[in-house]
Amino acid sequence: MNAAIEYQQASQNRASHATPPRRADDLSVAALLAQYHPDHAADASTLLHIGPSRGQPCHPRLAQLLQSNALIDGFDLAGAEQRSTDVLVLGGGGAGAAAALTAARSGAAVMLASKLRLGDSNTVMAEGGIQAALAASDSPQQHFDDAMRGGHHAADPQLLAQLASDAPGVIRWLIELGMHFDLADPLSDGGKLRYKQAGGCSQPRILCYRDYTGLEMMRVLRETVELEPGIQLLNRCPVVELLSHQDGSCAGAVLYDLEYQRFIVVSARQTILATGGCGQLHLQGFPTSNHYGATADGLVLAYRLGAQLRDMDAFQYHPTGVAWPPRLRGGLISEAARSAGALLLNGLGERFVDELAPRDVVTAAMLRECAAGRGIERDGQLGLFLDLRPLCGPGLPTLASQLPALQHLADKCGIDPTRDPLLVYPTLHYQNGGVVIDSQGQSSVPGLLCAGEITGGIHGRNRLMGNALLDILAFGRRAGRQAARQAQAARNKSSLPHLRGGIEHVYRWQRQLALAGLDASQPAPLLYPGQARLTLHRPASARA
Amino acid sequence: MEKLNQVLLNPAVQVGPDLAAWLHAGGGLGLQAALGAPSAIIRCIADADLRGMGGAGFPAWRKWEATANAVGDCKYVVCNGNEDEPGTFKDRTLLSASPHQVVEGALIAALAVRARCLIFYLNPHQDSSLHTMQQAVSQWQDSPWLDKLSHALGHPLDIKVVASSGRYIGGEETAVVASLEAGFPFPRKKPPFPAEQGINNQPTLINNVETLANVSHILRHGAGWYRALGVGKACGTKLYSLSGDVLRPGLYELPMGSSLQELVFHYGGGMLQGKAFKAVFTGGPSNTLLTARDLDVALDFDSVWLRHSRLGTGAMIVISEGSSIIRKVAEYIDFFAKGSCGQCPSCKCGTFQLARLLDRVDGGRHSPADLDALQHLCQILPGSGRCGLIDGAVTVVKSSLHTFPEEYGLLVQQTA
Amino acid sequence: MSETIRISIDGKVMAAQPGDSILQTRLHGPDAVTANIGCMGQGVCGSCRCLVRKAGERDTVSRLACETVVEDGMQVSFIDYYQPDHVHHYRPHDLRDGWQTLPQLQQTFPETAHCRHCGGCDRACPRGIPVQQGIALASRGELPAAAALFDPCIMCNLCTLACPENIRPNHVGLYLRRAQAIQNLRPGELLRRLDQQARGQLAIDTTAYLARSSS
Ligand SMILES: Cc1cc2nc3c(=O)[nH]c(=O)nc-3n(C[C@H](O)[C@H](O)[C@H](O)COP(=O)(O)OP(=O)(O)OC[C@H]3O[C@@H](n4cnc5c(N)ncnc54)[C@H](O)[C@@H]3O)c2cc1C
Ligand SMILES: Cc1cc2nc3c(=O)[nH]c(=O)nc-3n(C[C@H](O)[C@H](O)[C@H](O)COP(=O)(O)O)c2cc1C
Ligand code: SF4
Ligand code: SF4
Ligand code: SF4
Ligand code: FES
Repeated sequence: MNAAIEYQQASQNRASHATPPRRADDLSVAALLAQYHPDHAADASTLLHIGPSRGQPCHPRLAQLLQSNALIDGFDLAGAEQRSTDVLVLGGGGAGAAAALTAARSGAAVMLASKLRLGDSNTVMAEGGIQAALAASDSPQQHFDDAMRGGHHAADPQLLAQLASDAPGVIRWLIELGMHFDLADPLSDGGKLRYKQAGGCSQPRILCYRDYTGLEMMRVLRETVELEPGIQLLNRCPVVELLSHQDGSCAGAVLYDLEYQRFIVVSARQTILATGGCGQLHLQGFPTSNHYGATADGLVLAYRLGAQLRDMDAFQYHPTGVAWPPRLRGGLISEAARSAGALLLNGLGERFVDELAPRDVVTAAMLRECAAGRGIERDGQLGLFLDLRPLCGPGLPTLASQLPALQHLADKCGIDPTRDPLLVYPTLHYQNGGVVIDSQGQSSVPGLLCAGEITGGIHGRNRLMGNALLDILAFGRRAGRQAARQAQAARNKSSLPHLRGGIEHVYRWQRQLALAGLDASQPAPLLYPGQARLTLHRPASARA
Repeated sequence: MEKLNQVLLNPAVQVGPDLAAWLHAGGGLGLQAALGAPSAIIRCIADADLRGMGGAGFPAWRKWEATANAVGDCKYVVCNGNEDEPGTFKDRTLLSASPHQVVEGALIAALAVRARCLIFYLNPHQDSSLHTMQQAVSQWQDSPWLDKLSHALGHPLDIKVVASSGRYIGGEETAVVASLEAGFPFPRKKPPFPAEQGINNQPTLINNVETLANVSHILRHGAGWYRALGVGKACGTKLYSLSGDVLRPGLYELPMGSSLQELVFHYGGGMLQGKAFKAVFTGGPSNTLLTARDLDVALDFDSVWLRHSRLGTGAMIVISEGSSIIRKVAEYIDFFAKGSCGQCPSCKCGTFQLARLLDRVDGGRHSPADLDALQHLCQILPGSGRCGLIDGAVTVVKSSLHTFPEEYGLLVQQTA
Repeated sequence: MSETIRISIDGKVMAAQPGDSILQTRLHGPDAVTANIGCMGQGVCGSCRCLVRKAGERDTVSRLACETVVEDGMQVSFIDYYQPDHVHHYRPHDLRDGWQTLPQLQQTFPETAHCRHCGGCDRACPRGIPVQQGIALASRGELPAAAALFDPCIMCNLCTLACPENIRPNHVGLYLRRAQAIQNLRPGELLRRLDQQARGQLAIDTTAYLARSSS
């Protein structure tokens, strides 16, 4: 670890200033990012050797998974249970739920399979909120402009424009399902919404529900899915491989049913991948804010089947992950805290960055402080102070009423936020890149759509707060509608039961691995990130 | 002498609700003796070593004495006829076929503890016993016996027949109290025991139907006679509810301490289709299983206890070779899960998780970790509830794991 | 040397560091963890339900494993996700008419009227929500008050599992909260924006930023 200022000393330094001084910036933003953002570390990027995005940069750990062998082979399909459906949705977060609901409402027979329980996802953990340009002073154009700038102009303009335009419709949809939003004034105007400021935004545009927006969203979505007769829900059934037709299009997926310890082969007219991100890969050794299932499974499978990826070397490291106590390491402290006035301080008690600058900038600045020895060390954990006193001044509503989740977290850390700062350190938060999609969520593989954090291009190389929750719903709904439409078209064309797929693409992939001299001994997807690996149970007879 | 059905099921006393017929068959003599020397009743019951037949086998006189000595101006006696356990069907038989021997015993108990109120607390799902008892009780109320009793007590005795909720949990003694206080039958923490503070905080004696049914006979024939009925050190007779894979299931009254072998093979006619005897759920679904090795066990409270099980209500659910113990256990756990009153999350959640794991094992889709989890639950659940329901549920799971590890695939796995 | 704590989780004894959560400790065990895990410490997904008995205590209580710090001698059993076999279905648009909320509640959750006041739900709730009171308020028709109590609910379903009358209290709470939003939320600015969009206004110029960024 770098030299750091000891916690007691840092606390004294902090106490010595009535208002913390602001340290002058010594680098331009570009230089700051280049020198300190984890994406720019020397070992944070390599080139993909095989597959549809061959030659493109990718994080080495992810590249290793993308260029790996399958978990199953032909034998595993032999005795497996066969099912079929119009639309198969893989992943039980917000994107999967939105896609499944929309496809079902559009008349398709839908199956939704999730690795954990429906809703145990990144979505339920979202705290800060969701962007939508609703205020009279705001517009979808401004929303677009802010996100484009925040993403370093790398976003696909078409997708981003759709994101911003879809936002009001998404909020309406959520209200129609029964989601609440914080109100500035509950009595006037059908409930006047409260807008909060997000880093990198030209004006307040975040809608939220307290500081557990994702929980409020996911509990409503989960209940709706569970009660929707058109959706067959399969909890604890991770996808372990996709299925392909002769022409390379997607034919469904192979699931592993954990309760019954057996494979299920699902033939689907359309398949939607919504398996989320990859925080549990702990890229560059960072802790993560992500849920347990964020292991890049969908990316690995889509790539193997031939879907193009983009920006696989661009990740978001959220500035304020918990650094102490170690038990909660990596856990997220919402940007809502800084948005409400919380300050970042180094071990000298100085501010060192505009707290509401884009996340990559704040993170780089924090890592610079740590590299320069101005970080703070407590019980072996390195971090910086997040000073919550500005939120707790006299005359302000209590923290518990403003930001109950933050108060709950402070309690778990054993910290009195009116006195003590939290120790924070950047945490791996979001995968900016992912599967290339068109405006309907269609990937480059026919029959395979993607939605949510698994996709790339909507946000460019950095995402603004509140745009992910918007993205998963806007594009989840688009993908659901499109898949239902396609399935309907296929049904109209032929009333025959759809053709069963196989895993030819896996054999093709294995050839490529061998020809490129890549190690094929490590299978992927990972499914579960813990130390102990899951052994897939295979009937002995099928192997003999 | 024929050993079967000597006392309670003796054909001579199966007279139904007709009081005159009961008196003709020798009824009333026990009460007569009791009225002659009220202060000697408890001594007599103690000498007879009458045990609680509701499951625990607790010496009846100890509760009687505690209730008699406790301070209270309106003591209660409750005859617990809630019987609702799988495999137990003795109380309903007594109540409908010879109700007066139960009533007379209860009257003697009321005299002994100086009660003001006697309640017959009966399971409404057993329609005929409720109806018969109402008839029986009203005949006593109109008879001179009650005047004599009031005179001896120095105050009137109020007698009621009350329908219980019919729920299994309603039979637990503190739940009986709660129920009779016109609430939901929630078990309560003990102590205080009902004998000290029961209904409306008054000392309350709660006895099982079978326990009370024996009382008039003991008072009439004497403690020595009762003691001599049993085998060895055991006293009296016991009603055994025999069910399962035997040729002649049914209710058998045998000398307390008769052997399991005798009950199953002599009276029960042996195993159905000549299959081998595999195991027996003794005393209902909440005790430790006994196996073929235990066929020689004497069926009395102490002897069964020495085999680490319990005689319980005297239910004997026999399982033959070829039947799945796990399936049976899973059924019982479902029964307990449904019967849980809800007060203790560990009981509801614990029985749910036990049921889930058993279901997996029974379906053959369990992993070794599931078996560890099952055994672990058996460690953390006992004692966590307010009543014994959760402990009973755990006992049967634990015992099946211990006795039939191979059914769970436990041995197979160790040798592999 | 730091002291090591031993706890047993589903029958496996595991070593833990002071200050660790039960869930963290479980991840170091011999088996791959595939259930009862989600947000890993935030305490919002409700998947890590478990029964915990501390050394020397009689009580066995329900907890969230990711929010419970290990203590030496602790025994932990995880609890599966419980979904009752039978539930009454409803759809969001069934909730639009506020006059129907109460009768519909009675139809959708008829068990609500059967609460036996055992208090199991209150004791089971890791969030300390007065669940029983919520159900009492709901069956008395005091719907906003009932809904408000379930605001911090994480849908762990422990109260549903604990309830002997199959009331599914958290789902009742969510039903009421949803009805509230569906019936009352009509933010004026949102209506106006949707209307503008419906008229084809406010289209986005996807190239303007190029000009701006080059200037
Ligand atoms: C702590 C935190 C706070 C956040 N706060 C905000 C915020 O305030 N605003 C905002 O806009 N965004 C926020 N985000 C980002 C946002 O929540 C996520 O990007 C978004 O929810 C992703 O949705 P998703 O549906 O694509 O993926 P997820 O919600 O992660 O869902 C993916 C699902 O797929 C399942 N899955 C994974 N692998 C498989 C497999 N092999 N088979 C089957 N299923 C599988 C997972 O278990 C999970 O259920 C936050 C993220 C985190 C982690
Ligand atoms: C869950 C449970 C259910 C019980 N059900 C009955 C019952 O239905 N009838 C009964 O007599 N005793 C039942 N008992 C036992 C009573 O608690 C009590 O011990 C008994 O009525 C006392 O009578 P005794 O001493 O004559 O056996 C039950 C106990 C438990 C723990
Ligand atoms: S152990 Fe079960 S049945 Fe007994 S009081 Fe507790 S919840 Fe009720
Ligand atoms: S109310 Fe029920 S579902 Fe909600 S947190 Fe409490 S126990 Fe869990
Ligand atoms: S658990 Fe069910 S019955 Fe018991 S108090 Fe709660 S809601 Fe009522
Ligand atoms: S893991 Fe999500 S609540 Fe514990």
